Amino acid sequence: MMKIELETGGSVWKLLVAEGDQIEQGQTLFILEVMKMEVPYVAPAAGQVSAVHIAEGDAVEEDQLAMEIA
Amino acid sequence: MSWEPEATEIQRRRELALGQGGPVAIAKQHRQNRLTIRERIDRLLDPDTFEEIGPAAGSPRHGADGELEGFDPANFILGFGKVDGRRIVVGGEDFTLRGGSPSPAGLRKSVYAEELAVQYRLPLVRLHEGSGGSVAGTGGSGPSLPGPVNAPARFRSVAQAMATVPVASAALGAVAGLPAGRLVASHFSVMSKSSAQILTAGPAVVERAMGEKKSKDELGGWKVHTKNGTVDNGAEDESACMTDIRRFLSYMPANIYELAPVNACDDPVDRCDAHLLEVVPRNRRQAFEMRSIIASVLDQDSFFEMGRGYGRSQITGLGRLNGQTVGVWANDCKFLAGSMTADGAQKARRFMELCETFSLPIVSLVDEPGFMIGSQAEREATIRHGASAVLTAAMTTVPWASVMIRRSFGVAQAAHYGPEGYVLAWPSAESGPLPVEGGVAVAFRRDIASAPDPEARRRELEEQLAAKQSPFPRAEALGVHDLIDPRQTRPELCRWLDRVQPLLPGLLGPAHFSVRP
Repeated sequence: MMKIELETGGSVWKLLVAEGDQIEQGQTLFILEVMKMEVPYVAPAAGQVSAVHIAEGDAVEEDQLAMEIA
Repeated sequence: MSWEPEATEIQRRRELALGQGGPVAIAKQHRQNRLTIRERIDRLLDPDTFEEIGPAAGSPRHGADGELEGFDPANFILGFGKVDGRRIVVGGEDFTLRGGSPSPAGLRKSVYAEELAVQYRLPLVRLHEGSGGSVAGTGGSGPSLPGPVNAPARFRSVAQAMATVPVASAALGAVAGLPAGRLVASHFSVMSKSSAQILTAGPAVVERAMGEKKSKDELGGWKVHTKNGTVDNGAEDESACMTDIRRFLSYMPANIYELAPVNACDDPVDRCDAHLLEVVPRNRRQAFEMRSIIASVLDQDSFFEMGRGYGRSQITGLGRLNGQTVGVWANDCKFLAGSMTADGAQKARRFMELCETFSLPIVSLVDEPGFMIGSQAEREATIRHGASAVLTAAMTTVPWASVMIRRSFGVAQAAHYGPEGYVLAWPSAESGPLPVEGGVAVAFRRDIASAPDPEARRRELEEQLAAKQSPFPRAEALGVHDLIDPRQTRPELCRWLDRVQPLLPGLLGPAHFSVRP
Protein backbone atom coordinates (compact mmCIF):
# COMPACT_ATOMS: atom_id res chain seq x y z
CA MET A 1 0.00 0.00 0.00
CA MET A 2 1.43 3.36 -1.04
CA LYS A 3 0.09 6.70 0.07
CA ILE A 4 0.50 9.72 -2.17
CA GLU A 5 0.64 12.81 0.04
CA LEU A 6 0.86 16.37 -1.23
CA GLU A 7 4.16 18.17 -0.89
CA THR A 8 2.54 21.58 -1.16
CA GLY A 9 -0.84 23.25 -1.12
CA GLY A 10 -2.49 24.44 -4.34
CA SER A 11 -5.43 23.34 -6.46
CA VAL A 12 -6.06 20.11 -8.34
CA TRP A 13 -5.82 20.97 -12.02
CA LYS A 14 -6.12 17.56 -13.69
CA LEU A 15 -6.93 14.15 -12.32
CA LEU A 16 -5.57 11.54 -14.74
CA VAL A 17 -6.45 8.24 -13.07
CA ALA A 18 -9.51 6.84 -11.31
CA GLU A 19 -10.16 4.31 -8.59
CA GLY A 20 -9.48 0.79 -9.83
CA ASP A 21 -7.06 1.83 -12.61
CA GLN A 22 -3.91 -0.22 -13.11
CA ILE A 23 -0.94 2.14 -13.24
CA GLU A 24 2.69 1.91 -14.30
CA GLN A 25 5.66 3.24 -12.40
CA GLY A 26 6.35 6.84 -13.45
CA GLN A 27 2.83 7.38 -14.81
CA THR A 28 1.42 10.83 -14.06
CA LEU A 29 -1.45 10.48 -11.57
CA PHE A 30 -2.61 14.07 -11.25
CA ILE A 31 -1.36 17.61 -11.73
CA LEU A 32 -1.58 20.35 -9.13
CA GLU A 33 -1.54 24.00 -9.94
CA VAL A 34 0.66 25.94 -7.53
CA MET A 35 1.37 29.62 -8.14
CA LYS A 36 0.52 29.22 -11.86
CA MET A 37 2.93 26.29 -12.16
CA GLU A 38 1.75 22.82 -13.12
CA VAL A 39 3.22 20.31 -10.70
CA PRO A 40 2.81 16.66 -11.78
CA TYR A 41 2.68 13.77 -9.30
CA VAL A 42 3.90 10.46 -10.67
CA ALA A 43 3.45 6.89 -9.44
CA PRO A 44 6.46 5.79 -7.38
CA ALA A 45 5.72 2.16 -8.39
CA ALA A 46 3.25 0.11 -10.43
CA GLY A 47 -0.04 -0.93 -8.81
CA GLN A 48 -3.75 -0.36 -8.67
CA VAL A 49 -5.38 2.87 -7.53
CA SER A 50 -7.34 1.84 -4.43
CA ALA A 51 -8.61 5.25 -3.32
CA VAL A 52 -8.75 8.79 -4.70
CA HIS A 53 -9.24 11.56 -2.13
CA ILE A 54 -9.07 14.60 -4.42
CA ALA A 55 -11.16 15.98 -7.27
CA GLU A 56 -10.40 18.45 -10.04
CA GLY A 57 -10.75 22.01 -8.79
CA ASP A 58 -10.21 21.10 -5.12
CA ALA A 59 -8.16 23.50 -3.04
CA VAL A 60 -5.66 21.24 -1.28
CA GLU A 61 -3.15 21.57 1.53
CA GLU A 62 0.36 20.38 2.25
CA ASP A 63 0.56 16.82 3.66
CA GLN A 64 -3.01 16.07 2.52
CA LEU A 65 -3.57 12.43 1.49
CA ALA A 66 -4.36 12.50 -2.24
CA MET A 67 -4.35 8.91 -3.37
CA GLU A 68 -3.72 5.36 -2.24
CA ILE A 69 -2.18 2.68 -4.41
CA ALA A 70 -2.35 -1.02 -3.60
CA MET B 1 56.65 6.26 50.55
CA SER B 2 55.36 6.35 46.98
CA TRP B 3 52.30 8.17 45.62
CA GLU B 4 50.53 4.91 45.07
CA PRO B 5 47.49 5.71 47.28
CA GLU B 6 46.81 8.81 45.20
CA ALA B 7 47.44 6.94 41.94
CA THR B 8 44.93 4.34 43.09
CA GLU B 9 42.42 7.03 43.96
CA ILE B 10 42.87 8.67 40.55
CA GLN B 11 42.13 5.33 38.91
CA ARG B 12 39.13 4.74 41.19
CA ARG B 13 37.69 8.19 40.43
CA ARG B 14 38.12 7.57 36.68
CA GLU B 15 36.23 4.31 36.95
CA LEU B 16 33.47 5.87 39.01
CA ALA B 17 33.19 8.77 36.53
CA LEU B 18 32.52 6.30 33.70
CA GLY B 19 29.47 5.16 35.68
CA GLN B 20 27.85 8.52 34.77
CA GLY B 21 24.53 8.99 36.62
CA GLY B 22 24.49 5.36 37.81
CA PRO B 23 22.87 2.15 36.57
CA VAL B 24 19.31 3.27 37.31
CA ALA B 25 19.60 6.52 35.37
CA ILE B 26 21.37 4.78 32.48
CA ALA B 27 18.73 2.04 32.33
CA LYS B 28 16.03 4.71 32.21
CA GLN B 29 17.85 6.47 29.35
CA HIS B 30 18.02 3.19 27.41
CA ARG B 31 14.42 2.29 28.21
CA GLN B 32 13.36 5.56 26.60
CA ASN B 33 15.36 4.57 23.54
CA ARG B 34 18.12 7.09 24.01
CA LEU B 35 21.88 6.64 24.20
CA THR B 36 24.10 8.04 26.94
CA ILE B 37 26.53 10.81 26.06
CA ARG B 38 29.49 8.41 26.10
CA GLU B 39 27.68 6.04 23.73
CA ARG B 40 26.86 8.99 21.49
CA ILE B 41 30.47 10.07 21.33
CA ASP B 42 31.48 6.49 20.47
CA ARG B 43 28.90 6.39 17.65
CA LEU B 44 30.18 9.64 16.20
CA LEU B 45 33.94 9.07 16.33
CA ASP B 46 36.30 6.67 14.61
CA PRO B 47 36.89 3.71 17.01
CA ASP B 48 39.19 4.36 19.98
CA THR B 49 40.01 7.94 19.07
CA PHE B 50 38.35 9.77 21.99
CA GLU B 51 40.80 11.76 24.12
CA GLU B 52 38.85 13.17 27.04
CA ILE B 53 39.42 16.62 28.48
CA GLY B 54 38.63 17.14 32.17
CA PRO B 55 37.76 13.56 33.20
CA ALA B 56 38.66 14.45 36.81
CA ALA B 57 36.15 17.30 37.01
CA GLY B 58 33.24 16.55 39.31
CA SER B 59 32.28 16.15 42.95
CA PRO B 60 33.63 13.37 45.16
CA ARG B 61 31.46 11.90 47.90
CA HIS B 62 33.19 10.87 51.08
CA GLY B 63 31.95 8.67 53.91
CA ALA B 64 32.11 9.59 57.60
CA ASP B 65 35.58 8.03 57.77
CA GLY B 66 36.82 10.26 54.94
CA GLU B 67 36.94 7.33 52.47
CA LEU B 68 35.91 7.97 48.87
CA GLU B 69 32.42 6.53 48.46
CA GLY B 70 31.40 7.88 45.14
CA PHE B 71 32.19 10.41 42.42
CA ASP B 72 29.67 12.50 40.48
CA PRO B 73 31.38 13.50 37.24
CA ALA B 74 30.76 16.90 35.68
CA ASN B 75 27.66 16.47 33.54
CA PHE B 76 29.23 17.65 30.30
CA ILE B 77 31.65 15.30 28.54
CA LEU B 78 34.31 16.93 26.39
CA GLY B 79 37.30 15.88 24.37
CA PHE B 80 39.12 15.43 21.09
CA GLY B 81 38.42 12.62 18.66
CA LYS B 82 38.60 11.78 14.99
CA VAL B 83 36.03 11.60 12.21
CA ASP B 84 37.28 9.89 9.04
CA GLY B 85 40.79 10.33 10.39
CA ARG B 86 40.43 14.10 10.92
CA ARG B 87 40.60 15.52 14.45
CA ILE B 88 37.63 17.37 15.93
CA VAL B 89 36.42 18.60 19.32
CA VAL B 90 33.27 16.90 20.63
CA GLY B 91 31.13 17.55 23.68
CA GLY B 92 27.67 17.03 25.09
CA GLU B 93 25.52 17.13 28.21
CA ASP B 94 25.17 14.02 30.36
CA PHE B 95 21.42 13.69 30.79
CA THR B 96 21.79 10.90 33.36
CA LEU B 97 23.07 13.48 35.85
CA ARG B 98 20.67 16.24 36.91
CA GLY B 99 18.77 15.86 33.60
CA GLY B 100 21.61 17.65 31.83
CA SER B 101 21.05 20.87 33.80
CA PRO B 102 24.59 22.07 34.33
CA SER B 103 26.56 21.23 37.47
CA PRO B 104 29.29 23.80 38.26
CA ALA B 105 32.05 21.79 36.58
CA GLY B 106 29.67 20.73 33.79
CA LEU B 107 28.98 24.38 32.97
CA ARG B 108 32.71 25.14 32.85
CA LYS B 109 33.36 22.24 30.51
CA SER B 110 30.47 23.17 28.23
CA VAL B 111 31.74 26.72 27.85
CA TYR B 112 35.24 25.34 27.26
CA ALA B 113 34.08 23.35 24.22
CA GLU B 114 33.96 26.40 21.96
CA GLU B 115 37.17 27.86 23.40
CA LEU B 116 39.00 24.59 22.75
CA ALA B 117 37.73 24.40 19.17
CA VAL B 118 38.83 27.98 18.46
CA GLN B 119 42.21 27.53 20.17
CA TYR B 120 43.07 24.31 18.31
CA ARG B 121 41.31 25.40 15.11
CA LEU B 122 39.30 22.19 14.97
CA PRO B 123 35.68 21.52 13.92
CA LEU B 124 33.29 21.38 16.87
CA VAL B 125 30.49 18.86 17.29
CA ARG B 126 27.98 19.24 20.12
CA LEU B 127 25.63 16.39 21.00
CA HIS B 128 22.83 17.97 22.96
CA GLU B 129 20.37 16.64 25.48
CA GLY B 130 19.86 18.88 28.45
CA SER B 131 18.19 21.87 29.92
CA GLY B 132 19.45 25.24 30.99
CA GLY B 133 20.04 26.65 34.41
CA SER B 134 17.72 25.96 37.29
CA VAL B 135 16.42 28.53 39.75
CA ALA B 136 17.81 26.16 42.36
CA GLY B 137 21.28 27.13 41.05
CA THR B 138 24.09 24.89 39.83
CA GLY B 139 24.09 22.86 43.02
CA GLY B 140 26.83 24.61 44.98
CA SER B 141 26.23 25.53 48.59
CA GLY B 142 25.02 29.07 49.26
CA PRO B 143 23.23 31.47 46.95
CA SER B 144 23.89 31.39 43.23
CA LEU B 145 26.29 34.26 42.48
CA PRO B 146 26.68 36.00 39.14
CA GLY B 147 30.10 35.91 37.47
CA PRO B 148 32.42 38.86 38.07
CA VAL B 149 32.01 41.94 35.85
CA ASN B 150 35.38 41.31 34.22
CA ALA B 151 34.56 37.71 33.25
CA PRO B 152 34.65 37.14 29.47
CA ALA B 153 31.24 37.45 27.82
CA ARG B 154 29.67 33.99 27.89
CA PHE B 155 28.59 33.93 24.27
CA ARG B 156 31.69 35.50 22.77
CA SER B 157 33.35 32.11 22.29
CA VAL B 158 30.14 30.68 20.81
CA ALA B 159 30.17 33.41 18.18
CA GLN B 160 33.95 33.10 17.67
CA ALA B 161 33.64 29.37 17.07
CA MET B 162 31.12 30.02 14.30
CA ALA B 163 33.50 32.49 12.67
CA THR B 164 36.52 30.17 12.92
CA VAL B 165 35.66 26.46 12.64
CA PRO B 166 32.80 24.34 11.30
CA VAL B 167 30.25 23.80 14.05
CA ALA B 168 27.76 20.92 13.82
CA SER B 169 25.23 20.06 16.47
CA ALA B 170 22.59 17.44 17.13
CA ALA B 171 19.47 17.44 19.28
CA LEU B 172 19.17 13.88 20.57
CA GLY B 173 16.73 14.20 23.46
CA ALA B 174 14.91 17.14 25.01
CA VAL B 175 17.04 20.25 24.49
CA ALA B 176 15.96 23.39 26.30
CA GLY B 177 17.27 26.76 27.41
CA LEU B 178 21.01 27.34 27.01
CA PRO B 179 21.70 24.04 25.20
CA ALA B 180 18.93 24.95 22.72
CA GLY B 181 20.60 28.32 22.12
CA ARG B 182 23.91 26.58 21.46
CA LEU B 183 22.28 23.93 19.28
CA VAL B 184 21.24 26.54 16.74
CA ALA B 185 24.54 28.42 17.00
CA SER B 186 25.93 26.06 14.38
CA HIS B 187 26.56 25.74 10.67
CA PHE B 188 24.70 22.46 10.51
CA SER B 189 22.15 21.13 12.96
CA VAL B 190 20.15 17.93 12.92
CA MET B 191 17.50 16.52 15.27
CA SER B 192 16.54 12.93 15.93
CA LYS B 193 12.92 12.50 14.87
CA SER B 194 12.44 9.57 17.23
CA SER B 195 13.90 11.08 20.41
CA ALA B 196 14.41 14.84 20.33
CA GLN B 197 12.47 17.98 21.16
CA ILE B 198 13.83 21.51 21.13
CA LEU B 199 12.25 23.90 23.59
CA THR B 200 13.02 27.46 24.47
CA ALA B 201 11.13 26.52 27.64
CA GLY B 202 9.47 23.22 28.47
CA PRO B 203 5.75 22.42 28.98
CA ALA B 204 5.69 23.25 32.71
CA VAL B 205 7.20 26.72 32.27
CA VAL B 206 4.96 27.42 29.26
CA GLU B 207 1.81 26.36 31.06
CA ARG B 208 2.65 28.45 34.13
CA ALA B 209 3.48 31.56 32.11
CA MET B 210 0.92 31.37 29.32
CA GLY B 211 -1.74 28.88 30.25
CA GLU B 212 -0.90 26.94 27.08
CA LYS B 213 -1.00 23.19 27.73
CA LYS B 214 1.12 21.31 25.19
CA SER B 215 3.27 18.19 25.16
CA LYS B 216 7.00 18.39 24.50
CA ASP B 217 6.46 17.09 20.96
CA GLU B 218 3.65 19.55 20.24
CA LEU B 219 5.82 22.41 21.45
CA GLY B 220 9.12 21.43 19.91
CA GLY B 221 9.12 18.09 18.08
CA TRP B 222 10.61 17.55 14.61
CA LYS B 223 7.36 18.41 12.85
CA VAL B 224 7.70 21.92 14.26
CA HIS B 225 11.42 22.51 14.01
CA THR B 226 12.42 20.94 10.70
CA LYS B 227 9.78 23.12 9.03
CA ASN B 228 10.64 26.44 10.64
CA GLY B 229 14.41 26.42 10.20
CA THR B 230 15.33 25.93 13.87
CA VAL B 231 17.34 22.92 12.72
CA ASP B 232 18.59 22.21 9.23
CA ASN B 233 17.73 18.54 9.02
CA GLY B 234 15.70 15.82 10.71
CA ALA B 235 17.11 12.28 10.89
CA GLU B 236 15.29 9.07 11.83
CA ASP B 237 17.25 8.33 15.00
CA GLU B 238 20.43 9.14 16.89
CA SER B 239 22.69 7.03 14.66
CA ALA B 240 21.30 8.74 11.56
CA CYS B 241 22.11 12.11 13.17
CA MET B 242 25.74 11.01 13.60
CA THR B 243 25.87 9.89 9.96
CA ASP B 244 24.60 13.32 8.85
CA ILE B 245 27.19 15.14 10.97
CA ARG B 246 30.03 12.98 9.67
CA ARG B 247 28.83 13.64 6.13
CA PHE B 248 28.64 17.42 6.72
CA LEU B 249 32.18 17.48 8.14
CA SER B 250 33.52 15.55 5.11
CA TYR B 251 32.86 18.61 2.92
CA MET B 252 34.34 21.15 5.30
CA PRO B 253 37.85 22.42 5.96
CA ALA B 254 39.10 22.11 9.57
CA ASN B 255 38.98 25.90 9.95
CA ILE B 256 38.86 29.19 8.04
CA TYR B 257 42.64 29.12 7.48
CA GLU B 258 42.47 25.96 5.35
CA LEU B 259 40.75 25.02 2.13
CA ALA B 260 38.22 22.19 2.09
CA PRO B 261 39.69 18.74 1.45
CA VAL B 262 39.58 17.49 -2.15
CA ASN B 263 38.50 13.88 -2.62
CA ALA B 264 39.62 11.55 -5.36
CA CYS B 265 36.87 11.59 -8.02
CA ASP B 266 36.15 8.80 -10.47
CA ASP B 267 33.14 10.53 -12.01
CA PRO B 268 34.37 11.93 -15.38
CA VAL B 269 34.39 15.73 -15.47
CA ASP B 270 33.17 15.60 -19.07
CA ARG B 271 30.14 13.40 -18.29
CA CYS B 272 27.15 14.86 -20.19
CA ASP B 273 23.77 13.46 -19.09
CA ALA B 274 21.36 13.30 -22.03
CA HIS B 275 18.28 13.94 -19.90
CA LEU B 276 19.42 17.54 -19.25
CA LEU B 277 18.33 18.37 -22.80
CA GLU B 278 14.69 17.64 -21.97
CA VAL B 279 14.41 18.12 -18.22
CA VAL B 280 12.94 21.62 -18.54
CA PRO B 281 9.57 21.38 -20.34
CA ARG B 282 9.01 23.76 -23.26
CA ASN B 283 5.60 24.52 -21.75
CA ARG B 284 6.63 27.35 -19.45
CA ARG B 285 3.95 26.52 -16.90
CA GLN B 286 5.14 22.97 -16.36
CA ALA B 287 7.27 22.31 -13.29
CA PHE B 288 10.42 20.18 -13.37
CA GLU B 289 12.69 18.38 -10.89
CA MET B 290 15.56 20.73 -10.04
CA ARG B 291 17.10 18.04 -7.83
CA SER B 292 17.55 15.79 -10.85
CA ILE B 293 19.61 18.57 -12.50
CA ILE B 294 21.71 18.97 -9.34
CA ALA B 295 22.33 15.20 -9.27
CA SER B 296 23.38 15.19 -12.93
CA VAL B 297 25.74 18.11 -12.70
CA LEU B 298 27.59 17.29 -9.46
CA ASP B 299 29.86 14.32 -8.81
CA GLN B 300 27.74 11.20 -8.45
CA ASP B 301 25.83 11.01 -5.13
CA SER B 302 27.73 13.99 -3.75
CA PHE B 303 24.81 16.31 -2.96
CA PHE B 304 24.16 16.81 0.77
CA GLU B 305 21.03 18.90 1.16
CA MET B 306 20.66 21.12 4.20
CA GLY B 307 17.32 22.63 5.22
CA ARG B 308 15.00 20.68 2.91
CA GLY B 309 12.03 21.10 5.25
CA TYR B 310 11.83 24.89 5.33
CA GLY B 311 12.21 27.76 2.88
CA ARG B 312 11.39 25.00 0.43
CA SER B 313 11.33 27.14 -2.70
CA GLN B 314 15.12 27.39 -2.29
CA ILE B 315 17.36 24.30 -2.29
CA THR B 316 20.70 24.63 -0.47
CA GLY B 317 23.45 22.15 0.27
CA LEU B 318 27.00 21.02 -0.27
CA GLY B 319 28.27 18.98 -3.17
CA ARG B 320 31.41 18.19 -5.13
CA LEU B 321 32.73 18.92 -8.59
CA ASN B 322 35.76 16.82 -9.54
CA GLY B 323 36.12 15.96 -5.85
CA GLN B 324 36.15 19.56 -4.61
CA THR B 325 33.51 20.99 -2.27
CA VAL B 326 31.12 23.60 -3.65
CA GLY B 327 28.10 25.25 -2.08
CA VAL B 328 25.01 24.49 -4.18
CA TRP B 329 21.97 26.74 -4.33
CA ALA B 330 18.97 26.25 -6.62
CA ASN B 331 15.25 27.01 -6.86
CA ASP B 332 12.50 24.42 -6.55
CA CYS B 333 9.70 25.49 -8.87
CA LYS B 334 7.44 22.80 -7.42
CA PHE B 335 7.14 24.82 -4.24
CA LEU B 336 5.49 28.26 -4.56
CA ALA B 337 6.91 28.37 -8.10
CA GLY B 338 10.42 28.65 -6.60
CA SER B 339 9.80 32.19 -5.42
CA MET B 340 11.85 33.91 -2.73
CA THR B 341 9.87 33.66 0.49
CA ALA B 342 10.90 35.18 3.82
CA ASP B 343 12.14 31.84 5.16
CA GLY B 344 13.71 30.89 1.83
CA ALA B 345 15.62 34.18 1.88
CA GLN B 346 16.88 33.55 5.43
CA LYS B 347 17.95 30.05 4.47
CA ALA B 348 19.79 31.41 1.42
CA ARG B 349 21.50 34.12 3.46
CA ARG B 350 22.79 31.62 6.01
CA PHE B 351 23.95 29.36 3.20
CA MET B 352 25.92 32.17 1.54
CA GLU B 353 27.45 33.12 4.90
CA LEU B 354 28.57 29.51 5.36
CA CYS B 355 30.26 29.49 1.94
CA GLU B 356 31.87 32.89 2.54
CA THR B 357 33.16 31.92 6.00
CA PHE B 358 34.83 28.73 4.73
CA SER B 359 35.88 29.96 1.27
CA LEU B 360 33.63 27.51 -0.60
CA PRO B 361 32.88 28.42 -4.24
CA ILE B 362 29.16 28.71 -4.98
CA VAL B 363 27.26 27.02 -7.81
CA SER B 364 23.85 28.60 -8.34
CA LEU B 365 21.18 27.00 -10.54
CA VAL B 366 18.69 29.77 -11.15
CA ASP B 367 14.94 29.47 -11.66
CA GLU B 368 13.83 32.49 -9.64
CA PRO B 369 10.45 34.06 -10.48
CA GLY B 370 10.90 36.82 -7.87
CA PHE B 371 9.88 37.56 -4.32
CA MET B 372 6.80 35.77 -3.06
CA ILE B 373 3.75 38.04 -3.24
CA GLY B 374 0.40 38.22 -1.48
CA SER B 375 -0.82 39.14 1.98
CA GLN B 376 0.96 36.35 3.84
CA ALA B 377 4.26 37.29 2.18
CA GLU B 378 3.70 40.93 3.19
CA ARG B 379 3.02 39.88 6.79
CA GLU B 380 6.27 37.90 6.83
CA ALA B 381 8.38 40.94 5.81
CA THR B 382 9.51 39.10 2.68
CA ILE B 383 11.04 42.19 1.12
CA ARG B 384 13.30 42.81 4.14
CA HIS B 385 14.57 39.22 4.33
CA GLY B 386 14.80 39.08 0.55
CA ALA B 387 16.83 42.28 0.32
CA SER B 388 19.08 40.90 3.06
CA ALA B 389 19.81 37.86 0.86
CA VAL B 390 20.43 40.08 -2.18
CA LEU B 391 22.92 42.28 -0.31
CA THR B 392 24.63 39.26 1.25
CA ALA B 393 25.28 37.93 -2.25
CA ALA B 394 26.59 41.33 -3.29
CA MET B 395 29.12 41.32 -0.43
CA THR B 396 30.52 37.83 -0.98
CA THR B 397 34.09 37.39 -2.18
CA VAL B 398 34.01 33.67 -3.05
CA PRO B 399 33.83 32.66 -6.73
CA TRP B 400 30.33 32.07 -8.13
CA ALA B 401 29.08 30.24 -11.17
CA SER B 402 25.41 30.84 -11.92
CA VAL B 403 23.50 28.83 -14.49
CA MET B 404 20.25 30.36 -15.73
CA ILE B 405 18.11 27.26 -15.97
CA ARG B 406 14.75 28.92 -16.55
CA ARG B 407 13.44 32.10 -14.90
CA SER B 408 15.52 34.94 -13.48
CA PHE B 409 13.29 37.84 -12.52
CA GLY B 410 13.02 40.94 -10.42
CA VAL B 411 15.18 42.06 -7.53
CA ALA B 412 15.17 38.55 -6.06
CA GLN B 413 17.15 37.08 -8.95
CA ALA B 414 20.11 39.31 -8.05
CA ALA B 415 20.67 37.16 -4.94
CA HIS B 416 21.58 34.24 -7.19
CA TYR B 417 24.57 35.95 -8.82
CA GLY B 418 27.81 36.83 -7.04
CA PRO B 419 30.05 39.78 -7.85
CA GLU B 420 32.11 39.08 -10.99
CA GLY B 421 30.46 35.68 -11.16
CA TYR B 422 30.61 33.36 -14.15
CA VAL B 423 27.18 33.20 -15.80
CA LEU B 424 25.93 30.52 -18.17
CA ALA B 425 22.45 30.32 -19.70
CA TRP B 426 20.44 27.35 -20.91
CA PRO B 427 18.22 27.84 -23.98
CA SER B 428 15.24 27.71 -21.60
CA ALA B 429 16.47 30.81 -19.72
CA GLU B 430 14.10 33.78 -19.39
CA SER B 431 14.92 37.01 -17.63
CA GLY B 432 13.57 40.47 -17.05
CA PRO B 433 12.07 42.77 -14.47
CA LEU B 434 9.10 40.45 -13.79
CA PRO B 435 7.50 37.36 -15.35
CA VAL B 436 5.33 38.34 -18.32
CA GLU B 437 2.22 36.70 -16.90
CA GLY B 438 2.07 39.15 -14.02
CA GLY B 439 3.65 42.10 -15.76
CA VAL B 440 1.48 42.26 -18.87
CA ALA B 441 -1.74 42.70 -16.92
CA VAL B 442 -0.28 45.76 -15.18
CA ALA B 443 1.80 47.42 -17.89
CA PHE B 444 -0.78 47.03 -20.65
CA ARG B 445 -3.96 47.45 -18.60
CA ARG B 446 -5.61 50.02 -20.91
CA ASP B 447 -4.47 48.27 -24.08
CA ILE B 448 -6.01 45.02 -22.83
CA ALA B 449 -9.20 46.64 -21.50
CA SER B 450 -9.93 48.45 -24.78
CA ALA B 451 -9.33 45.41 -27.01
CA PRO B 452 -12.41 43.71 -28.54
CA ASP B 453 -11.32 40.43 -26.89
CA PRO B 454 -9.27 41.46 -23.82
CA GLU B 455 -8.29 37.88 -22.91
CA ALA B 456 -6.96 37.20 -26.44
CA ARG B 457 -5.07 40.50 -26.45
CA ARG B 458 -3.48 39.65 -23.07
CA ARG B 459 -2.32 36.28 -24.37
CA GLU B 460 -0.99 37.88 -27.56
CA LEU B 461 1.01 40.43 -25.56
CA GLU B 462 2.34 37.73 -23.26
CA GLU B 463 3.55 35.67 -26.20
CA GLN B 464 5.21 38.68 -27.83
CA LEU B 465 7.03 39.60 -24.66
CA ALA B 466 7.97 36.02 -23.77
CA ALA B 467 9.68 35.73 -27.16
CA LYS B 468 11.78 38.79 -26.29
CA GLN B 469 13.04 37.06 -23.17
CA SER B 470 14.97 34.54 -25.21
CA PRO B 471 18.58 34.16 -24.04
CA PHE B 472 20.02 34.55 -27.56
CA PRO B 473 20.01 38.40 -27.61
CA ARG B 474 21.46 38.32 -24.11
CA ALA B 475 24.34 36.12 -25.24
CA GLU B 476 24.86 38.31 -28.36
CA ALA B 477 25.29 41.33 -26.07
CA LEU B 478 27.71 39.42 -23.77
CA GLY B 479 25.01 39.61 -21.09
CA VAL B 480 26.06 36.08 -20.13
CA HIS B 481 29.45 34.42 -20.47
CA ASP B 482 27.97 31.72 -22.64
CA LEU B 483 24.77 30.15 -23.87
CA ILE B 484 25.20 26.40 -23.53
CA ASP B 485 23.74 23.05 -24.43
CA PRO B 486 22.34 21.91 -21.05
CA ARG B 487 24.24 18.63 -21.38
CA GLN B 488 27.50 20.60 -21.23
CA THR B 489 26.76 22.03 -17.77
CA ARG B 490 28.96 19.66 -15.76
CA PRO B 491 32.06 20.01 -17.98
CA GLU B 492 31.58 23.79 -18.06
CA LEU B 493 31.32 24.03 -14.27
CA CYS B 494 34.32 21.74 -13.72
CA ARG B 495 36.41 23.92 -16.05
CA TRP B 496 35.25 27.05 -14.19
CA LEU B 497 36.19 25.50 -10.83
CA ASP B 498 39.63 24.66 -12.19
CA ARG B 499 40.12 28.26 -13.37
CA VAL B 500 39.24 29.80 -9.98
CA GLN B 501 41.73 27.69 -8.01
CA PRO B 502 44.37 30.46 -7.84
CA LEU B 503 41.83 32.75 -6.17
CA LEU B 504 40.99 30.44 -3.28
CA PRO B 505 44.11 30.69 -1.07
CA GLY B 506 43.70 34.47 -1.05
CA LEU B 507 40.26 34.09 0.54
CA LEU B 508 41.45 32.22 3.64
CA GLY B 509 41.26 33.77 7.09
CA PRO B 510 38.42 35.67 8.75
CA ALA B 511 35.62 36.64 6.38
CA HIS B 512 34.40 40.21 6.68
CA PHE B 513 31.09 38.75 7.73
CA SER B 514 30.51 35.33 9.17
CA VAL B 515 27.51 33.22 10.06
CA ARG B 516 24.97 34.11 12.68
CA PRO B 517 22.22 31.71 13.66
